[in-house]
Amino acid sequence: SPVMEELLHLHDHALMVVFLISTLVLYIMLAMISTKLTNKFILDSQEIEIIWTVLPAVILILIALPSLRILYLMDEINDPHLTIKAVGHQWYWSYEYTDYEDLGFDTYMIPTQDLAPGQFRLLEADHRMVVPVESPLRVLVTAEDVLHSWAVPALGVKMDAVPGRLNQTAFITFRPGIFYGQCSEICGAN
Amino acid sequence: EEEEEEEGFRLLGILDVQNTPCSRDAILHGAGGSVTAGLLHFLATSRVRRSFDVGFAGFMLTTLGSWLYCRMNNAKLRVQQRMIQDGIKNQIVYEGTSRDPANKPEAGTPSGPS
Repeated sequence: SPVMEELLHLHDHALMVVFLISTLVLYIMLAMISTKLTNKFILDSQEIEIIWTVLPAVILILIALPSLRILYLMDEINDPHLTIKAVGHQWYWSYEYTDYEDLGFDTYMIPTQDLAPGQFRLLEADHRMVVPVESPLRVLVTAEDVLHSWAVPALGVKMDAVPGRLNQTAFITFRPGIFYGQCSEICGAN
Repeated sequence: EEEEEEEGFRLLGILDVQNTPCSRDAILHGAGGSVTAGLLHFLATSRVRRSFDVGFAGFMLTTLGSWLYCRMNNAKLRVQQRMIQDGIKNQIVYEGTSRDPANKPEAGTPSGPS
């Protein structure tokens, strides 16, 4: 989805900044190991202190600006064409399509021993949530018993399912296909 | 083997240079900037250690500058790509209807049957 593409770009940008910082630290370590200069009586140094105060602030701004941009992009109102309710249970999800007709179904994970060749372990489900492509969608997420979390990494979507609370998330996908997700909040008995 | 080729080479174990857009160009520009800056400083001052420091600073600045420039152009291209995709989609949807921007009625054209 476009949001996931933007998240990937932010990740690449942050990774490059992290790479440069790591390179700087490695270089400083090598320089300090190999130097012959020593000074037992140094008390302060205005120049280096200014550098190591200003530089981290600049780095934080460099990472924060694209991050905030995506944060507000994800919260934009997108006038959804379809609303789906996802309700978390122990241990299955139920979906309700109530915009046009009353349609609801439960979906269970296919156990490992029942998988057909080529299917993915711990990801396949018996009834998939089907959504139209190129349509902005809204998913209302809640839970019946304990905390769950509805997540589809390929779409850049994750929303906690809290009992007694209705959380909203939205996404749009431009590529048809099957997108997998797993419950992302501890919800087991042990 | 195909999976190893797709994974790519990771600098310091974290930066996938082959599969991250703009990263290869940024690192190469940084390497060139580093060598240039260090060499020029050494030729001017004959100080080896300080030339290494200057070369490293040149690497950081050149890599960061090249990265930011390439990413900004990349972002502009992505925005243009999305606008073109939306335009194509809308053109297909509205083609032949009154909302088609290419179907503007002319002033002297008679509207009734001739």
